[in-house]
Amino acid sequence: MQLLPTHVAQDIIDHGLSFGADFVDIFIERTQSEALVFRNSRSEDNQSGTIFGIGIRLINGEQALYGYTNSTEREELLRITSLLGSRIAKTKNSKIINFEKLSYPVIPVIQDQEVDAKYRVAFLKKIDEKLRRDSKVSQVMLNFTRKKQLIEVYNSDGLYATEERPYIRLFHHLVMKDGPLQSEAFFGPGAIGGWDFMEKLNTEDICENLLKQATTMLHASPCPAGKMPVVIDNGFGGVIFHEACGHLLETTSVEKKASVFWDKMGTAIAHSALTAVDDGTVGGAWGSLSIDDEGMPTEKTTLIENGILKRFISDRLGEIKTGHKRTGSARRQSYKFAPASRMRNTYIEKGPYEMEELIGSVPNGLYAKKMGGGSVDPSTGQFNFSVQEAYIIEDGKISRPVKGATLIGTGPEIMTRISMVGKDLQLMAGMCGSVSGSIPTTVGQPPVKVDEILVGGQA
Amino acid sequence: MNDLADQQAEGDLIYSSSKSLKMSAQKGSISEYKVSSSQILGIRVIKDHRVGVSFSEALDEESIRFMIKQALDNAENGRENPHESIIDLSGSLVDVAHYPEEPVDISEKTKRSLALESDVKNADKRVVAVPYNSYSENEYVSSYLSSKGRFTNYGDKIYTITSSALMDDQGKKANYYDFHSAHTFKDLDWKKVVHTSLYHSGNLLSERPLATGKYHVRFTEDCLKSLIECFSNFYSAKSAIDKVNPWSEKIGQEVIAKDISIIDHPQFDRAFRKSHFDSEGVEQKPLTLIKDGVLESFFHNSVTANYFHIQTTGHASRSPAGSMSVSGTHMVVQGKNAKNPPDKYLEVIQMDGLYSGANRVTGDFSVAVKGYLWQDGQKVLTFGNCTLSGNLIELLKRAQVVGEMISASTDQSFFCVPLIFLDLSIAGVSN
Repeated sequence: MQLLPTHVAQDIIDHGLSFGADFVDIFIERTQSEALVFRNSRSEDNQSGTIFGIGIRLINGEQALYGYTNSTEREELLRITSLLGSRIAKTKNSKIINFEKLSYPVIPVIQDQEVDAKYRVAFLKKIDEKLRRDSKVSQVMLNFTRKKQLIEVYNSDGLYATEERPYIRLFHHLVMKDGPLQSEAFFGPGAIGGWDFMEKLNTEDICENLLKQATTMLHASPCPAGKMPVVIDNGFGGVIFHEACGHLLETTSVEKKASVFWDKMGTAIAHSALTAVDDGTVGGAWGSLSIDDEGMPTEKTTLIENGILKRFISDRLGEIKTGHKRTGSARRQSYKFAPASRMRNTYIEKGPYEMEELIGSVPNGLYAKKMGGGSVDPSTGQFNFSVQEAYIIEDGKISRPVKGATLIGTGPEIMTRISMVGKDLQLMAGMCGSVSGSIPTTVGQPPVKVDEILVGGQA
Repeated sequence: MNDLADQQAEGDLIYSSSKSLKMSAQKGSISEYKVSSSQILGIRVIKDHRVGVSFSEALDEESIRFMIKQALDNAENGRENPHESIIDLSGSLVDVAHYPEEPVDISEKTKRSLALESDVKNADKRVVAVPYNSYSENEYVSSYLSSKGRFTNYGDKIYTITSSALMDDQGKKANYYDFHSAHTFKDLDWKKVVHTSLYHSGNLLSERPLATGKYHVRFTEDCLKSLIECFSNFYSAKSAIDKVNPWSEKIGQEVIAKDISIIDHPQFDRAFRKSHFDSEGVEQKPLTLIKDGVLESFFHNSVTANYFHIQTTGHASRSPAGSMSVSGTHMVVQGKNAKNPPDKYLEVIQMDGLYSGANRVTGDFSVAVKGYLWQDGQKVLTFGNCTLSGNLIELLKRAQVVGEMISASTDQSFFCVPLIFLDLSIAGVSN
């Protein structure tokens, strides 16, 4: 199905160029979304919908002019283009464009199969029952979401590209209560693919881990505060790299000098133990894309190699403004946002150490088994993260659980203090919010040891 | 609606449309310019006490028919909820704001937008960039129609400006953002956002961590609003039903300091925009949530009210793409028995990572904070690189009223008497 006829796309691009724009592109999106909330041991909310719209971008030098509408009417699209074009005071630009459909290597997705709504509810009911086998569980919330995003991109270089992206995710939220004590546990696996992904989930392991986490944290004592070494476990532990470093390597920040790394290309910004990549090509991974939202095939981009900054994450405008080549990283939540350089699947590569070696190297510190969310100000590099499940390390051994731990610091500091990297790399799905909206991204890492970081907790 | 009647179903529709303009400046020229026109239609269907929701941004006939079919399918596969029905109201309520036409052309808007960057840059040599600055205007209308014949129409226009000041002083960096919103262009306070960004960024360049320990803390209205909003489930009847509200069994009990009362006031005089009806078309009036420390009520819509066998409080909240929920309007925190502030306390002006460090079920939170240490009425230190940890319930029990004048958050949706929270836990550097 073609979302916008080629001749209408041609007219819009011609019209945009007629104002003197250097470049024009059109992004068309039709997304079917579904959401099912299973709560109180029953299906509580069934929602679905259609997201549809068209975004038009004119680039004039380093200036981006962007407009969007839900209408496919040629006149409305030309009106939006005129509003944008009127901001350009240049001589008319025109060229003959013959759109050529882009062919590209398709990232493998987890196979899709259709199951009906009753089957889905029954599937979630089984998970609910597994989690409620502990009498202290007071609530289970399972959020199942699925969407199929069909995109088309036309541009004034003659590109026509299209991709269908199927997303699927199941977010688990468990609440446990024991008298006045309460605790929570979360887990949200997701993928590019269909229902087969759900069938492949090891629901027994997931439920056991969630119950174990909630039980442990129920009786955890407050985390002590202060600077200490921290071992951060794999999987969602990668959120630290994502926030503290990844965002600072996006040209969206670099171009404004709103990144502490903007002038550090080719220099050491991290400990020599650290190599990190942003990879859009991981089969089935939540942050993967075959093409980005500018129609460029994605790639595996080495950002930091043995501590040296090698590449920034770049899109078309980022390349124009900074000179750093595009990396197939132009992304956006929907047609309502102009594309920006954003992460895809970002992770620290595996290192040589066993987990026991990391823990054993810490006389007194913190073991952050499961990270929560966090945020960063790219301009200063200052970040903060919550830890969902944490333990004190005493004499090189994991001892008692603690709650309320947060990690705060700056990107440049923490990158130079990751001194040991483990072997067991794991990726985890998440949502990343930034200038072009909320997008699916994967974070990941093997276990790492940070020599010193400020831990917020009970004074 | 006729389609629903044919299917022996009832339902309601929300249609929203908006037009917007946004621009921001970098290096002395407009680097981003964005215009939009958008619309969305959402439907909630109730059939045989089962609920289904669907929406569409494509409004051709085929897409709308598909949306209705999806909503009916969702209802068929949804749970049975005897408490959810279309509220029995008819008639129309209209609240579309009209403001005087302003002869402001695009060149004037562009000039002022450029000044959001240049005024900050030119004011202080330590400013290296103004990474976040923007001028935006948004005009929107939202209409509601139920199968029982209730129609409401709400519309408004909002102008917003933001600015920031990224400063560098010998490698030490600081950045602070500010914003201002108004209903007319002429009411935008351009100087205020520039001045506030520069003032706090300049101060934060000298930030130092505090010694780890217990401190009395005062929050700016914006920070206190964020903290209380982060735990909005405490006031939600829906969260009580879903067993994620720690106050679910506390109606009639003292839950916070007894000198404090909290009221939701839809038509509060100083509010940015008064609210007259909710997402079910129910007319709104002030609601006392907490009176002298005692929890009196939750926010209710008709569904939660039916569950608890009471009347709705008029706090239904639903977007075209969402299901029925509850939300407040303007929170007013009142106090009595004001005491003198302690000689030494912290003023928190910035909090980072609140939502990721909060446990909404227990009230525990941990957040990075920055601000000023006040002693004997003087600002003696700018602090940062610290975390504040605690529990919202405990924090509200430790609130002390230290004044009578009610102040507003920047967005004029939260109003509060001066409060100081005693003995909160700050992690900084070792003593």
